Amino acid sequence: MAAVAVAPERPQISLQQVGKTYPNGTVALRDVSLAVPKQDFVFLVGPSGAGKSTLVRLLIREEKASEGSIQVDGQELNRLRRRHLPYLRRKIGMVFQDFKLLPNLSVFENVGFALRVTEGALRHLKPKVEEVLSIVGLEGKENKYPDELSGGEQQRVAIARALVHDPKIFLADEPTGNLDPATSWEIIQLLLQINARGTTVLMATHNREIVDVMRRRVVAIDGGQIVRDEDAGGYHAPNLEPH
Amino acid sequence: MHRIWNRIDFAFGSAWQNFWRNAAVSIASVLIVWMVLLSLGSLLMVLNSLQHILTLEKGRASAISIFLADNTPLSSAMDFKLQLMRDSRVSAVSYVTKEQALVRFQEMPTLSPDLIAALGSNPLPASLDVTVKDIRSLADIDKMVRTSPLVDKSPATNYSPDVIDKIIVLARVAGIAGVVLIVGLAALSLFIIMLTIRTAIYMRRKEIEVMKLVGATDWFVRWPFIVEGLMVGVLGAVVAVIIVGLGYRPAEQYLQPRLVFIPLFYDPEFLKVVLAGMLAFGLLLGTVGSYLGVRRFLRQ
Repeated sequence: MAAVAVAPERPQISLQQVGKTYPNGTVALRDVSLAVPKQDFVFLVGPSGAGKSTLVRLLIREEKASEGSIQVDGQELNRLRRRHLPYLRRKIGMVFQDFKLLPNLSVFENVGFALRVTEGALRHLKPKVEEVLSIVGLEGKENKYPDELSGGEQQRVAIARALVHDPKIFLADEPTGNLDPATSWEIIQLLLQINARGTTVLMATHNREIVDVMRRRVVAIDGGQIVRDEDAGGYHAPNLEPH
Repeated sequence: MHRIWNRIDFAFGSAWQNFWRNAAVSIASVLIVWMVLLSLGSLLMVLNSLQHILTLEKGRASAISIFLADNTPLSSAMDFKLQLMRDSRVSAVSYVTKEQALVRFQEMPTLSPDLIAALGSNPLPASLDVTVKDIRSLADIDKMVRTSPLVDKSPATNYSPDVIDKIIVLARVAGIAGVVLIVGLAALSLFIIMLTIRTAIYMRRKEIEVMKLVGATDWFVRWPFIVEGLMVGVLGAVVAVIIVGLGYRPAEQYLQPRLVFIPLFYDPEFLKVVLAGMLAFGLLLGTVGSYLGVRRFLRQ
């Protein structure tokens, strides 16, 4: 029986020989090539200033690559017109270490805000916000304001806001950076749950314990270059593991 | 439909919030727009008055009144009239008696009844009102008639070649000074509106960051600020329109008795045009100022 050739699936995120040099001459990334298939879960690790956040910013086109090519969900970002950028961002959910919640809006309004400003159908706003708040376990806290919530709860609100558009890709830049270990684990469980629903997750982190326990794909960056790309890896390269 | 309503609701709601959160700067920019438009409206009304005076004076300029001495017999006056009518430069001559001259004088809108009563007997002379074909021949005719013994000597005619030139110069100076003032004030108001919008942007920078992050379009981010600028422009314009609209007639009535020999004009049709123009200019200032304010920020 003849074997049927199956074309390899195009990666959801693809970087080819990407470099980023800032106007002041600082080289943030050099010759970075990376392919992230759909539904993958990737930890992006490395010391401060290694280039992790720059890489994340390039993926949402907050910055433009100085060289190379970046494709996200089939779109070449360097060629993407400014007016099409919002539609790219609606495919990407994004959370940060500092949550970026609006303090004068309630939990419900913070999440609904993302739908309002992207002009989603308002008749779906309430059920959609309720759905994502239940995914992140914040039922009953809809009317609370960010300063009435714990750090972990605030990050859950930020995750709910990122999920409200059913993103294909979820980017998390140090999402557990401000959280205690127990809360960090809860957030990781949530990201795993999101990944299990079919969303590609890329998480930049310093959290060694989480990376070591999870044993997922690890991409290590140092000095603006990828120094390791390992499936089921740990925070440090095997030969550098402290004894 | 939902989408348009959402956009309008969001833009107006945010603009209203911005305006009051930032009340001191917002009110300052409303005041400056108000000042610009008040100056613009007042200037246009003054220029319009000057234009009326100019037209009137130009009409008067092709005519000259030759004042006759009080003892001139009617037959001599008629002979003089015929002599003038025969002159090829003259198009028409009419005889105005002393009584007609007094009636005319009494009909002048600018005079108070007290002044007319104070005249006692009629001091006004009879005259021959001569209209010429070409305004340039007025000086010669004036010179010629002054030699006639029938003509009163104090004054002989009402010929005053300087008046028109003076009005033209006055209108020109007022126009140039006004334009310079308005351009300066308009530039200042644009700057203040830009500053207001920048302050509003600064205060909402976190919100804008989140909006852009979750995929709001540039125009969705811009609209609330454009609407805020529009609000500033319209508010400033409405206050100025009310003041000029309601205040012009009383101002004219107050000034007219004090400026007896300058005929002021109340032209309701032109007033309407000016008020509409002020409103449109306020809208323009608000929109352009806020667009400039928001443009640079969103480029970043």
